[in-house]
Amino acid sequence: MRSTRRSITAIASWRRSSVPEQVAQLFAEYADAYARGERPRAEEYLARAGGQADELAGLLERFVQATPAREPDPETLALTEAWLTGEPPLVGLRASKGMRVDEVVDALVERLGLDPAKRAKVKRYYQRLEGGLLEPSRVSRKVWDVLTGLVGQRSEELAAWHVRPPAGSGYLRAAEPAAAPPQVAEHGDEEADEIDLLFLGEGR
Amino acid sequence: MHDARDVEDKRLLEAGDHKLLLAGYFHAVRELCFLRLRDREAADEAAQIVFLRLFSELQRRKTYSVPFRVVVWKVVEWTVRGFYPGAKQDETLPDDWDPAAGDEYEGVEDIYDFGRLIADLPDRQREVLDLIHRQGLSHEQAAERLGLTRNAVDQALHNGHRKLAEKLGA
Repeated sequence: MRSTRRSITAIASWRRSSVPEQVAQLFAEYADAYARGERPRAEEYLARAGGQADELAGLLERFVQATPAREPDPETLALTEAWLTGEPPLVGLRASKGMRVDEVVDALVERLGLDPAKRAKVKRYYQRLEGGLLEPSRVSRKVWDVLTGLVGQRSEELAAWHVRPPAGSGYLRAAEPAAAPPQVAEHGDEEADEIDLLFLGEGR
Repeated sequence: MHDARDVEDKRLLEAGDHKLLLAGYFHAVRELCFLRLRDREAADEAAQIVFLRLFSELQRRKTYSVPFRVVVWKVVEWTVRGFYPGAKQDETLPDDWDPAAGDEYEGVEDIYDFGRLIADLPDRQREVLDLIHRQGLSHEQAAERLGLTRNAVDQALHNGHRKLAEKLGA
């Protein structure tokens, strides 16, 4: 038979609890966001808690463990698959929507009003983006708007996950650009054109 | 009492839908690893190891005598230990580990029982938290079920979360 002593003690001392106002407020904001189906990131809340971050972290730990897991959305499923297989998550998400790379590329060319003669270049860039080989923050908002409509709202987030084989030590979310050289043309010695700026620009 | 989630986990386990089962824990595991390690890169590394470990066990058809969520939290616990400075290399979870061994399962159930955590909240707050967190209803569905406005549900939820903070901090 399970012991309930610890819970009863916790309940009895509940009203004597003195969680600081700021910590209680930040905790409630985090929990509210979670309840809305969002994916709040603890680091943002801990940063706001300043010197009370440890106290807030303790509450959030218990909350994420106690709160029943939600049914995953397609993007979360794609990320999980990526962790298990080593495949870039954007690839899995596109595949889950039943879309081929060529369909995405055709849509980019058409909706962004690009020169159809440069379709092959768009395709090369898209494949690099999908493979986690481009820094998402440098990709134009116009590109993300098209991709969001095609493969899902979190395509930008998913593109920021860099592939690392499962047998290795993990999967990294982008903290640094994957394509480090700050060039603005597909090949460094060429003059940048409209397509280069869409994928290697400043993300506007 | 995670009744609905435990039932769904059991269904997914029996159906062999392991990826969907694990995906349900994706956010929580990432967050828990971060909260323990306070480094997002290390946390994601640890979280991936957790998922690979669990996936490997599921593929080998390992069975568990406790709810799957208990298994998840215990694997997280073991995994993050290996990331602390000075961790011993041999401190890894044995292949034949038993999540129900000793009194640790009881501890997990006592501390992380959401139903028990909200049991003392004022009625409306408890009902709203129960419908949204435990039964998975949307805010609109909860409002309709309880005959409240959406705003009233938001308010009850927020106030309930603040009380929950006090309880978890006790």
